[in-house]
Amino acid sequence: MHTSIVQGHPVTARQPLAFIVVLTMVLLLLSSHADAIPAFNRQTGQNCMACHAGGNFPELTPYGRLFKLTGYTLGERALPISAMAVASVSKVSNTTKSDAPADDFQKNNRAILATASLLLGGKVTDNIGAFAQVTYDPYATQDANGRFHGHSNADNIDIRYADRFIGGQRDLIFGLSANNNPSVSDPWNTAAAWMQYVPVPSPTSSRFIDGNAPYPGFGAGGNIAGLNAYAYWNQTIYVELGGYGSSRGLTRFMSAGINQADNTRLRGINPYWRLAYNHEWGPHSLMVGTSGMVARVYDDPLDTSDPATLHKFTDLGVDAQYQYLLDPHAVTMQFAFTRNHVRYSAASLANPAAPFFDASGAATLADINAADTNHVLRAKVSYVYQAKYGGSMGFFNLSGTTNTANQTAGYDATGTLIKTDGAASNLSGNPGTRGITLEAFWMPIQYLRVGLQYTAYNRFNGASTNYDGFGRNARDNNTAFLYTWLAY
Amino acid sequence: MKLATPALAAAAALLLIGCANPERSRDLANPTVLATTMAQQVCSNCHGMTGSSVSPNFPNLAGQTAAYMVAQLKGFRSHGRSDPAGFEYMWGLSRSLTDAQIQGLADYYAGQSPTVQPIGGDPGRFESGKAIFANGVADKGVLACATCHGPDGKGNTNFPRLAGQHADYLVKQLLVFQRTEERPEGSIMKTVAHDLTVQNIQDVAVYLQALPGVLERPGLQLTR
Repeated sequence: MHTSIVQGHPVTARQPLAFIVVLTMVLLLLSSHADAIPAFNRQTGQNCMACHAGGNFPELTPYGRLFKLTGYTLGERALPISAMAVASVSKVSNTTKSDAPADDFQKNNRAILATASLLLGGKVTDNIGAFAQVTYDPYATQDANGRFHGHSNADNIDIRYADRFIGGQRDLIFGLSANNNPSVSDPWNTAAAWMQYVPVPSPTSSRFIDGNAPYPGFGAGGNIAGLNAYAYWNQTIYVELGGYGSSRGLTRFMSAGINQADNTRLRGINPYWRLAYNHEWGPHSLMVGTSGMVARVYDDPLDTSDPATLHKFTDLGVDAQYQYLLDPHAVTMQFAFTRNHVRYSAASLANPAAPFFDASGAATLADINAADTNHVLRAKVSYVYQAKYGGSMGFFNLSGTTNTANQTAGYDATGTLIKTDGAASNLSGNPGTRGITLEAFWMPIQYLRVGLQYTAYNRFNGASTNYDGFGRNARDNNTAFLYTWLAY
Repeated sequence: MKLATPALAAAAALLLIGCANPERSRDLANPTVLATTMAQQVCSNCHGMTGSSVSPNFPNLAGQTAAYMVAQLKGFRSHGRSDPAGFEYMWGLSRSLTDAQIQGLADYYAGQSPTVQPIGGDPGRFESGKAIFANGVADKGVLACATCHGPDGKGNTNFPRLAGQHADYLVKQLLVFQRTEERPEGSIMKTVAHDLTVQNIQDVAVYLQALPGVLERPGLQLTR
């Protein structure tokens, strides 16, 4: 429905830093004369920091969690439209170890309009509210001439019905969420849908920024259609059960703008569950939880006739979040660990020969695996002062089984070393990737954040050195990412 | 747009299911929503189910004097009270409240059992805080808090209850009175707090937070 394929107009400048600074100043000037404010802010009339920890969206405060779980219905009906835009610059540490730097690091060290979103959100009735996002990517596709083309599609959607039975010492929130992304309904920021929060630009210069480094996730991915029921009892126990199916027919709007060929096709109803324990004392709050999903995904979205083409994903996660919120201080610690298991379809295993050969070119490598298991760990600590100045430190580690099917570099039948995925090629067949991200950010006004992230790798695609077979080392992927994010 | 029709039909059906639910509404612009409903569905998110808040970021309201509550809510609504705690959290929530709802909220919280905080901290501070509360600071001309707020800090009409309030909130508000013009309705406090040191403010705040339990502590009885 939102398939507005329009010509992208990338913003570029020779001096990226200067561009970001000037843009920030212009936005500041505009904002001081504008009355437009984000939709939820209009609805409650409160500052962003009431719901977002230290004003750092999207992370929610205990109050923000209750606002979400009560179905976005607190407050008064208001104009339910907001917009946001992100401009950014990515700079990869080493762009020389590449056969084709122009392809491997598109727009490197150039300021671009990264993404823009239109958000519809707010109270509909006493029990119904919604949050829906349509995102425009100016760099969605590239034609044969190298020109980028923009594209819009449905992003996170969460439509809720909620009721709250409260009185005396009893508090029960019950609700339903129709949504398009497993865990988008979750009120904690360690949820897969929320932990990575800075929109990721498409050009390949951003392929190594923090948002593209390993994060917990669900094999089914997004833009599917789910209905979840949840209950939050005495702000202590949170339970959520849901089922996801393909986004089509009545629920096609959940994947609006996504081509049929790219639209995840699931077989039947696929279960999602979430259990969390929450405790608040003084300015502290702690959540310890677990979640999981089993999904059967068709290999080819355009052909769902053969059950032999189904991959089965089993994802299990544990997560924890601690917050200390006492104005003007906001401290958050987040931890998430997931085990992702995938059993490949019988059809994809019909020819199990590895795509590459040994160094002599004479013998093929071990057959591809019938199943893989990966583990992703993310830990982050952040601090925000006066809802203005903040910083964070994050650690990520992806480890998993080695599979010759993962290889995008290796020897061909003539014994020649080749690679098929540019600077991100994988010689080992192992996905192991590890590193840290440091971030500093500044929110001069509550609708605007300017952030600088630096992501450093000591392992990439299973190796710290020569991971692609052509001499590229993990640390060559270290990337600085400067962004300015406006939400209105 | 062939899918728009069923989507709209589904939305309309949902609307009918949950059209109005005033007994459990979180609508802040509906004058028919009762104050008790509002207190439970909305205010409790920060101030606790019975007006005793978990986080010191938000003041306890249980047992607060109704007159003071009315004045504050009207102050938020009119933007007359503009300290950070006021404009960040309360301006928006109070903007459409009716006078009757404000009175109802004030009565609801005035009728709740006052918060009793666990006693913690340094007894030396209690002694110093008690001295300021009960006697003022004579050489600086600081009046005794008890003069207006009552000997037990329970408040009196427009003078708020202080007993059992979060120390962090008391410190922040005393600094607001002392250093800003953000609470003109409490201008008398600007004079009173003018010569308090930060140490004085912290001492009296931790003492007030520990009331009334502190009364039972040996050697810390209030001067009456």
